[in-house]
Amino acid sequence: MTHPGPELPRPATDAPPAPQDDHAPPAPHDGPPSDAPPAPHDHAVGGVEPRRRLHPLSPALHGAKSLVVVVAGLSWSTLSRVGFGWFAAMATVLALGATVLAVVSWYNTGYHVVGRELRVYEGLLWRRTRAIPLERLQAVEVVRPLLAQLTGLAELRLEVVGGGKTEAPLAYLGVAEAAALRQRLLALAGPAPHPGTAPPQPSASAGPTVAPVPPGRALHAVANRDLLVSQLLTPQAFLLPFGVAFVVAQFLSEGSWSFIAVASTITAMAGVLLQPIRRVLDDWNFRLARDEGTLRVRNGLLETRAQTVPLNRVQTVGVTWPLLWRAKGWLRLRLEVAGYSGGEADDRNRPDRLLPVGDQETGERIVAEVLPGVRLSGLATGLPPARARWLRPLGWRAVGAGLDERVFAARSGLITRQLTVVPYARIQSVRVTQGPAQRRLRLATVHADTAGGAGAAALDRDLDEAWWLAAELTARAHAAHRAR
Amino acid sequence: MTGEPPGGPPPHPVGPHPVGPPPTAPPPGPPAVAGHPASGPLAAYPPGPLEPWPATVRWQSVSTDLIWVELLRLAALVGVVLLGLAVGWAVSGHWLFGAALGAVVLAGAWRVVTTVRAVHVWGYAERENDLLVRHGLLVRRLSIVPYSRMQFVDVSAGPLERAFDLATVQLHTAAAASDARVPGLRPAEAARLRDRLTALGEDRAEGL
Repeated sequence: MTHPGPELPRPATDAPPAPQDDHAPPAPHDGPPSDAPPAPHDHAVGGVEPRRRLHPLSPALHGAKSLVVVVAGLSWSTLSRVGFGWFAAMATVLALGATVLAVVSWYNTGYHVVGRELRVYEGLLWRRTRAIPLERLQAVEVVRPLLAQLTGLAELRLEVVGGGKTEAPLAYLGVAEAAALRQRLLALAGPAPHPGTAPPQPSASAGPTVAPVPPGRALHAVANRDLLVSQLLTPQAFLLPFGVAFVVAQFLSEGSWSFIAVASTITAMAGVLLQPIRRVLDDWNFRLARDEGTLRVRNGLLETRAQTVPLNRVQTVGVTWPLLWRAKGWLRLRLEVAGYSGGEADDRNRPDRLLPVGDQETGERIVAEVLPGVRLSGLATGLPPARARWLRPLGWRAVGAGLDERVFAARSGLITRQLTVVPYARIQSVRVTQGPAQRRLRLATVHADTAGGAGAAALDRDLDEAWWLAAELTARAHAAHRAR
Repeated sequence: MTGEPPGGPPPHPVGPHPVGPPPTAPPPGPPAVAGHPASGPLAAYPPGPLEPWPATVRWQSVSTDLIWVELLRLAALVGVVLLGLAVGWAVSGHWLFGAALGAVVLAGAWRVVTTVRAVHVWGYAERENDLLVRHGLLVRRLSIVPYSRMQFVDVSAGPLERAFDLATVQLHTAAAASDARVPGLRPAEAARLRDRLTALGEDRAEGL
């Protein structure tokens, strides 16, 4: 059964020599679903590989997750109204119901890899089969929420071009299985398969025993202390003491200290602080590594994430200098991958972290790594003409745009300074827009649209310059595109 | 700047180019751009609506029947609003409804004028490597979409458009912000444009 050859996934699909192997795995499929990590690591070599189920513990995890949602949904006021016993009973009933549904959905969910596609089957009444073409894969992420960490499970998320949101979160798989599947999907997603070359996942069955992310070449590790300090230097954390003081004063003056009021206040505070706290939890232990052509990001305290982003899928890199960080000289780096529309409400799931906090020198190094040949400090941006002052009296010196050798860079923001870097090869279209006020001043804005994120915009350029810029961007995008 | 066309006020450098070696890398340095059709007559650009590179671009305008489509749409909208306001006025008799009625009529009249002008402004041009679309009166927009970046082409025609024998062609790229929609085309022209775009797109396609 220990086949050394799960590689060559494609050419072997209809190879007849291994029909026996092919028929062996489906048998256990009916009985105890092919679940646990140990056995099924070598996939069937020939024919269509059997459909596999998610880990049998997943319904339990979904149920536990829904318990949290239910409790939050019932809220404090319900608790106070019905008393603890009823509250617990209601929560249990609802959570049990959710768990039953999760079991049903688990029973009907399956996935397998066919050729260069991942197929995911779901649904009892409304059947849904999604075929995810792997050549369109933009990034893979292994997420391990707290509960999943305790149970040794992981969720696999795939980002595909054109998907409004994350496609096919496979929740949950065994850690080893998730790692192996990720390896395999990335190998399949790579540039067109070269049957001759060494298959990139020879160790797919060896890897799972170690951490989910093979180390690669470490690029950077963010010190947790810096992360904490950086999140204390956010407006929310800064203003919190005033908020607390205000609320306490309110309470003292009214003299009413009901449990509900206090609990609600604490909830509200938590809401305000949610973003910085989340950032700290999410970016804890942030590790960046590079492995061949992919970027590997690991982060998270309660919920660890391991993202794998092929470098050639990076659409834009954004640099942010928040106001309060400037004293420290810190910056934040983000990257945009195709496949994320802004529509996804929960931006935690965007694989856009490149550096949660770091100094100029670190940022420089990482940018050079992600976009070879780009020096962050060497990106010169020219100011718009002085008459743009009429449109942005304070911030006109904060905007700018520049053409570098390989990238288009646009700067904006007075308080939170931002720089967006778009490689010419990633420009999808160029737009020139001119509002009524801009027309009076003979100004225009040039946008470079990219597949992920908002692209970059050269704000309020002189009209002639805007035409020139648009032409130049188009020409450079064309040339860069053809050169690839 | 090295890449400026001779004769003409220099289009400003947008930022100093790195002093590094001239175009060894794939993206061309400025000299390569000098040959680009776009940079030639730039200086001769007349101040007007978004109409760049007049000598090299042949703008095609959309059918003026689009005016009727737009006006009918506008009339339907204004009609509904007016009806609501009139009923409100009749029932309550408050003078505010009357004022609103007048305002809506005025706004409608103004929209009629701008619609007529906006349709005349709407235009597209097929260049060697990209499609240009311009539109908008108040906020003027020009989109440059390289054929190679095209993901798919939509041809659509609503009932109102069909009544006037018109169709809309829309070019989609992987970027959500791309805005290349050409309304008011004759079906034959729409089909031609679609076929040409798909052919060119296939020729040059590289996707992302």
